[in-house]
Amino acid sequence: MHGMAEPIRPRLKARRSLLLAGAGLSCLGLLLLTIWLMPVVPGSPEQAQMLREILIWQSLMPRAALGLFVGAALGLSGALLQHVLRNPIADASTLGIAAGAQLALSVALALVPGLLVLPREIIAFAGGFLSFAVVLALSWRRQLDPVTVVLSGMIVTMIAAALSVALILARGEYVMSIFIWGSGSLSQQDWSGVLSILPRLALGGLATMLLMRPLRVMSLNDSAARSLGVSVHAIRFAVLTLAVWLAASVTAIVGVIGFLGLAAPAIARYCGARTAAEITSAAALAGALLLFAADSLMQLLGPGFSDLAPAGAATALLGGPLLLLLLPRVRSTLGLRTASSVPLQRLRRPGLGLAVLGVAFLCIFGLALTLGASDKGLEMSLGSEFADLLPFRLPRLLAAGGAGAMLAAAGMIMQRITGNPLAGPEVLGVSAGAGAGLAVALFLVAFPSLPVMLGSMAAGALVTFLLMTAMTGRSAFSAERVLLAGVAAGALAMALVTLVLAQGNMRSYLLLLWMSGSTNRVGALEATFVVSASIVLVAPLFLLGRWLAILPLGADVNRGLGLPVARARLALALLAALLTAAGSFAAGPLSLTGLVAPHLARMVGFQRPAHQLMAALMSGAGLMIASDWLSRLVIYPYQIPLGLFAALIGGPYLLWLLGRKSDQ
Amino acid sequence: MTAGSPPCTRRQVLAGLSLLAVPSPLFAGTAGTRVATLDWALLETLLAIGANVVAGAELRQFREVAVTPQVPPGVTDLGLRGLPNFEALYHAGPEVVFNSNFYASSEPVLARIAPVETHSIYMPEKDPFALAVEATGEIGELLNLTAAAKLIDEVEAQLLRQRQVMAAGDGRPVLPVNVGDARHYRVFGADSMFGAVLERLGLENAWKGATAYSANAPVGIETLATMPEAWIVLIPPHPADAIAALETSAFWDALPQVSKGRVLSLASVSPYGALPAAARFAELLTEGLSRAWNG
Repeated sequence: MHGMAEPIRPRLKARRSLLLAGAGLSCLGLLLLTIWLMPVVPGSPEQAQMLREILIWQSLMPRAALGLFVGAALGLSGALLQHVLRNPIADASTLGIAAGAQLALSVALALVPGLLVLPREIIAFAGGFLSFAVVLALSWRRQLDPVTVVLSGMIVTMIAAALSVALILARGEYVMSIFIWGSGSLSQQDWSGVLSILPRLALGGLATMLLMRPLRVMSLNDSAARSLGVSVHAIRFAVLTLAVWLAASVTAIVGVIGFLGLAAPAIARYCGARTAAEITSAAALAGALLLFAADSLMQLLGPGFSDLAPAGAATALLGGPLLLLLLPRVRSTLGLRTASSVPLQRLRRPGLGLAVLGVAFLCIFGLALTLGASDKGLEMSLGSEFADLLPFRLPRLLAAGGAGAMLAAAGMIMQRITGNPLAGPEVLGVSAGAGAGLAVALFLVAFPSLPVMLGSMAAGALVTFLLMTAMTGRSAFSAERVLLAGVAAGALAMALVTLVLAQGNMRSYLLLLWMSGSTNRVGALEATFVVSASIVLVAPLFLLGRWLAILPLGADVNRGLGLPVARARLALALLAALLTAAGSFAAGPLSLTGLVAPHLARMVGFQRPAHQLMAALMSGAGLMIASDWLSRLVIYPYQIPLGLFAALIGGPYLLWLLGRKSDQ
Repeated sequence: MTAGSPPCTRRQVLAGLSLLAVPSPLFAGTAGTRVATLDWALLETLLAIGANVVAGAELRQFREVAVTPQVPPGVTDLGLRGLPNFEALYHAGPEVVFNSNFYASSEPVLARIAPVETHSIYMPEKDPFALAVEATGEIGELLNLTAAAKLIDEVEAQLLRQRQVMAAGDGRPVLPVNVGDARHYRVFGADSMFGAVLERLGLENAWKGATAYSANAPVGIETLATMPEAWIVLIPPHPADAIAALETSAFWDALPQVSKGRVLSLASVSPYGALPAAARFAELLTEGLSRAWNG
């Protein structure tokens, strides 16, 4: 290896300086172009000139500098995280640091304004560190396996996002700044942002240099490092703290800049950086140039003085594709072990089990239908009041139940087709794909009709799912990898949705409502639609029990058994996409019911497809009905949208599943 | 529909359509009629004309943002405007529910509780003040409240009076803004209530574009440099630290509006209000501007 690398080095160096010069020059060009194309300030010539100068020196220049420094800080932070965790896909976005920091800031702004006497940075650091600690704790027992760590991080991010959206809905007017922040705008009016990031970046750079030697030693391995007298854990902790602090400071100053820390070290490695010192410095540089270029483009493409989109939302578009690209290179420290290897007891009398489940489901349904809150407290409504309230409660319960059943069925199909016990419409990004479809429909038609909305959602879901199955079919990905690929696709779709949200008009509001998965306005028409869709789409599954039973056994076995594999997969994929679109139409993309319900069914011990399907349908429906019921009780008369509420149940469950020791 | 039933005849369809087109007086009320609404503009109208309001949406925020008219303590809070609690509305027992185009999607459910009367004040490219006058008059007739006609006369007279005051001013354009954070603000164009009031006060709105009649995308603060002659009128609520951060910003200080003292900070006004909000905005603006003009 060494012998081979030596002669290449000088050439690499020359190529690298050429690359650097090229990137630097194109950034300079972008800056000049931005100044040159700056809109003309109206008014008297001398006043216009004065204001133009202010704009250049107090807005454009600090913004350019801020882009460079923030990009460098994030690139450095990402490189440090990746190095210490030995994880090429670690960064502030994938580890939940940015989302945690942002949630802490939103909570402080919306709920405890008194906390704002503290510097934003401290609140952000506390939130970022907390969610990072949660992610590490969850993946600790799996020896910080890179894929598990990032998966946990992305799920923590999702839960934090769900809570943030709940806050936006609950506070209405005040959160405009959270909105802007959430998407990471670099817009500046003075040098204060630059002055606050610069010393932090310098300090971070200095600390990195000091830690570089122990870092180099650590890249050998733990025992070698220890024998050289390096306190491995202390150094690791110091570097991680440094990385989290850099990322949290950035979040406090400009908001979330998605996935930049993921992209920068990847670019550094691509350009030939190999040692820890090379990667950290090159990553800082790459991050700086990348963010600067992205922000300049957003300014140039936007009309007048407005940006096309905040830079953070633009870089978030990079995250999904990059994760998908990097995933094949991630070396797992663990073998292929998944929750599927956990032996489950088998129910001896599944018929009786189903009957018990059915009774439990009916109890939940009955309770949700009769028990409700009023100004006077919890109230059981019977008799004429029950009849009066029925038109409000029944449609939303039917819609919630139908959505839960459809998502559960979709989840079960996906788990069976992919042979991946962690699959589900939400975790594979299929729901988010449906959301991207909806966003496209909203973009093309201002107020699309129901069939157009559903059609575009189904198309988005199908495209995403086919992409995901194509990826699984092609390579021997472990369950977690497929899942991460799905999360990455979901992140891309969500970035698109965020771009529409950032426009802040009526469309954003519609999309926000959908994202939160509200059943509040469901009337008889929607309820009828959801229930009949679930009957029409679920019924064929009972006839396809054989497919569902043997598909997980693998293509060779299937062909041996005479199954038309490709056609069976496509038909089931289509069915799953339709189920997802119709289900998430009512419950939003976040609920995770599609993952949880089939698991519940399996855990109880239903294994034959028809039995598992029945049980999954009932638990999915029951789960959603219970969530819907609780979501309108806990902060009465205010309500938490169903999808968000369910995500707060499903998210922790998925985290628990990932963190569980699978080798029992 | 059963399989054998004949399809609708053309006449039936036309009859159905005509029902939709003509606003039918489904409801005739009195001063004591129990009313409820999800819309803040209608809520303040109902409160201002002395209707018997039993329920309104998002009252916690309404009390902070709209401030006046006051919401009596007995009024049921229906939760978020976009996510109203229909059961709470049912328990409040309204006899008529007033609704607007913003919450049209809630209408089928609202109609199960009480007859729904729809009056829209914010519509694309329509003057919200004129629509507010129209809606106030109609609501007053419906509820048999003479206070409605009086409110219209009072607000129109007030605006005429204040137009005289404004005519003696400096004639500079006015830019009503709602600050989001130290770098972004929201503008109110001709199709907003603030824009409509400026027009009636004979003032020029510095923001020329329309604002899509609802929550507008935040605008960067550097755009203020394009309106150096204007008065900047800050309309709360602002986030706790936004104004403090703004005042330390070099760009803000260098703006001619700021260095010449042409920044006015008003008390909170509902940006999606009706006549009461229009009157409140006009009152606060006239008071603030005349104090500024006269030193």
